[in-house]
Amino acid sequence: MSAMRDLEETFKGACAALFDELSGGEELSVGFSGESSDFLRFNRGKVRQIGHVDGASLRFKYYRGGRSLASGFEATGEAEADRRKAAMALEAARREAALLPPDPYQVLPKAAASSREEFPGRLPDPGRLPQEILGPGQALEAAGAEFVGIHAQGPICRGAATSAGARHWFAAESFIADYSAYLPNGKALKSCYAGREWDGGEYARRLASEASRLEALGRPERAVPPGEYRAYIAPEALAEFIDFFSWYGLSERQIREGESAFISLKEGRTSLSPRFDLVQDFSLGVEPRFNESGEVAPERLRLIAGGKLASTLVSARSERQYGLPANAAPEEEFLRSAAIGAGELDEDRALEALGTGLYLSNLHYLNWSDVDSARVTGMTRFACFWVEGGRIVSPIKDLRFDDSLYRVFGDRLEALTARRSLVVNPSTYEERALGGSLLPGILLSGLTFTL
Amino acid sequence: MTMDLRRLLESALPAGVEWAALRRVRSVERSYAAKDGAFESAALYEDEGFMIEVLSGGQFGYAGLAAAGPAAMAAAAARALELARSASGRSIHRFGTEVRPATALSYETPRGRRAAPGADLLAGGAVALSRAMRVSDKIVQASAEISTRDLETEYVSTSGAAICQRTHIVCYGCAAVAREGSTIQKRTLNGPRGRTRQGGYELLDFPRIEAEAARAAEQAIELLGARDCPSMRADLVLAPDQMMLQIHESIGHPLELDRILGDERNYAGATFVRLEDIGSLRYGSELMNVSFDPTVAGEAASYGADDIGAPARKELVIKDGILVRALGSLESQARSGKAGVANQRAEGWHRSPIDRMANLNVEPGKDALPDIIASVERGVWMEANRSWSIDDYRNKFQFGCEYGKLIEDGELTRTVRNPNYRGVSSSFWRSLYKVGDASTFQVFGTPNCGKGEPNQVITTGHASPVCAFRGVEIFGGEQ
Repeated sequence: MSAMRDLEETFKGACAALFDELSGGEELSVGFSGESSDFLRFNRGKVRQIGHVDGASLRFKYYRGGRSLASGFEATGEAEADRRKAAMALEAARREAALLPPDPYQVLPKAAASSREEFPGRLPDPGRLPQEILGPGQALEAAGAEFVGIHAQGPICRGAATSAGARHWFAAESFIADYSAYLPNGKALKSCYAGREWDGGEYARRLASEASRLEALGRPERAVPPGEYRAYIAPEALAEFIDFFSWYGLSERQIREGESAFISLKEGRTSLSPRFDLVQDFSLGVEPRFNESGEVAPERLRLIAGGKLASTLVSARSERQYGLPANAAPEEEFLRSAAIGAGELDEDRALEALGTGLYLSNLHYLNWSDVDSARVTGMTRFACFWVEGGRIVSPIKDLRFDDSLYRVFGDRLEALTARRSLVVNPSTYEERALGGSLLPGILLSGLTFTL
Repeated sequence: MTMDLRRLLESALPAGVEWAALRRVRSVERSYAAKDGAFESAALYEDEGFMIEVLSGGQFGYAGLAAAGPAAMAAAAARALELARSASGRSIHRFGTEVRPATALSYETPRGRRAAPGADLLAGGAVALSRAMRVSDKIVQASAEISTRDLETEYVSTSGAAICQRTHIVCYGCAAVAREGSTIQKRTLNGPRGRTRQGGYELLDFPRIEAEAARAAEQAIELLGARDCPSMRADLVLAPDQMMLQIHESIGHPLELDRILGDERNYAGATFVRLEDIGSLRYGSELMNVSFDPTVAGEAASYGADDIGAPARKELVIKDGILVRALGSLESQARSGKAGVANQRAEGWHRSPIDRMANLNVEPGKDALPDIIASVERGVWMEANRSWSIDDYRNKFQFGCEYGKLIEDGELTRTVRNPNYRGVSSSFWRSLYKVGDASTFQVFGTPNCGKGEPNQVITTGHASPVCAFRGVEIFGGEQ
């Protein structure tokens, strides 16, 4: 708890320093990301790298006289040093902004609401991480696998404040053990244990259970030739598609600027399956509803309903530019806390429903191959299997798929599972991420594989 | 400054530390964006922090922090030591100080124009670039961005290392999106961020870039009326701005020694290359020569030493098509017993360095561009990357480009849109049959190569001549 307290004090102190320095006619919105994280990276069940990072990043937007500038600095947690940094950053912002052209779609901070959410957790002793994390990995090693991955833990905090009076704080102590088990034949299974309350017994039981799943991966590999196959995409694999609703996705701005795969959906030239629903759903509780400008999004925002576009992601800037109501999207208009609607398929009967085809547990390195037609390519990875008559036959040699989202979530979408899984965001680019997606497994009548 | 850093390190260390180092990283990033002839946004970010690293019982432990006060630094050192000691008996390798050389040097990016133009000039430059691309009503978006990063890294160790490096990166990009009916095409200057270089403000030659931006916009319009790239197995000629991506994904990452050793398997993936392949694997045709070279003036990932103090040096990694050396740091070299390069690099003060590409370049060959084109009976010229995907063993890839031209009977003919190709790294490079001469050689870079756990992005540079490949699977888009 003390690290969370320290981070909150750092945020408050830096905000106070910035707001105290403001002169007449100046306004600010401030966003904060903080963490106090332990990292254990491991390979072959041994420690590769181990360390700790304290981060407290302030990002602010400065407004004066119709001009705007994004700026920021790293806070130290030392009050006097942070006051000095805040003053210097503000001075630099004033000098820089004064030279800029007017911002044609400037939106001054209006948000004035406040919120505070804090989720203390129970984490392993940092001084015993190698024993706590790697010890139970012996179950996988006993099954002939190499244990490789990362464990990260500690508080993650987000804050937002505006000169209009908004004050938001979100903090959670959490952990994520993100790991895989590699057999000598190069096949592997991937898993993750994440949460706020560490339970060493539960972690050990998971690893032991996963060890028992390695047998199927040890079978001879099957090279499936390119072609179209029935496919079951598990929630962890489906999570790889979620970014495609942000990247050339459902941003109102991107659609207006010709940089979205969903222009034809917006223009009513195409539709998705009536079975397909996509919602931005903050009731998942994995990230805050406020954005960097202190605006609070609705708890649930229907984006695609029954295969038709229900709403796009609209920032305050797009509201100003295009004259349609904002829904508190961040300025970059990306999707947060995604949830795909459940279906009726019993997950335990997914193999039976698949019949003959491919079971895809994970996918890798997806990218648009043709944005215009919403075509995405990517690779199978980890525990992917050839299935016949509803039974797993053998692991497959990696396959490349290349198919359109208008088929995957359209006429090829045969069923969705009734049970959904929360797939947490494991990203640690720049900082440990918050967020995740609530996803079913999906059954496709066909997916095109090309290589 | 370096002496202050050394005092800070020495005063922070608990008793009994075998070895320790302190790295200070400060960066200042500026960016200016414009759209459709109007100013869009600007940013100015400063970041400064420290990483303290200690060695205990053969294990390194690290702690990253922004605070520079003695108490915070001492607490960080104690935390790093505690974590290193906690790994006792569970380390993947027992490291020693031989993987942290006592290098003393300084490096700074050579620059022509050092003084930064004012924000008004840079923002105005971005506006002018975006305006230059409005060549037709069919251009539905014309955007331009200019960014600079000044990075200062200081490194001292208890064994005597004293390194100070200042790199200056300039990156600019222009993109024109054209639309006619339901057809949309986009053209950029050499891919989204291909124009990433080290240097001064002489790189921002606005009259020249405006002309290039207008040309890109005209090509976006041209693509609207072009046919889709045909599907066929044919010869493929890649411009240097696509070779950048091809080198990065199918040479650079597969040759990273930490991937060969399995460190990346849980995230970015492994590689088809095995330790025993080093020194004997025929990676490509005998025309293929690839260098790791962080000493090229102006290329994006040049430096004097890597982030553990290994001095930068040019090394051939593929010679006459044979893999002779992997991209492995001193740590990976110690673990594998294989020769490597100076490439243990970190994104910033908050990340521990890992094996990375720096500048990875295909060496020029002997063929003039007209001779390369003339050698193709049926094929496609492709330039500027727009799509990239490769498997976790860095073998099966699929890449897409912005702009293509058919080559028929030795001549460039019709423009084609949505040109894509796919292949397998381990056989693709063996189909290399023409390597352009120095007149076709161009230097590009990217600021955002992702890898590692915890994740890191880093700048890499890639230079290449035009190259031609036989019998590649080529295909177009879908309407």
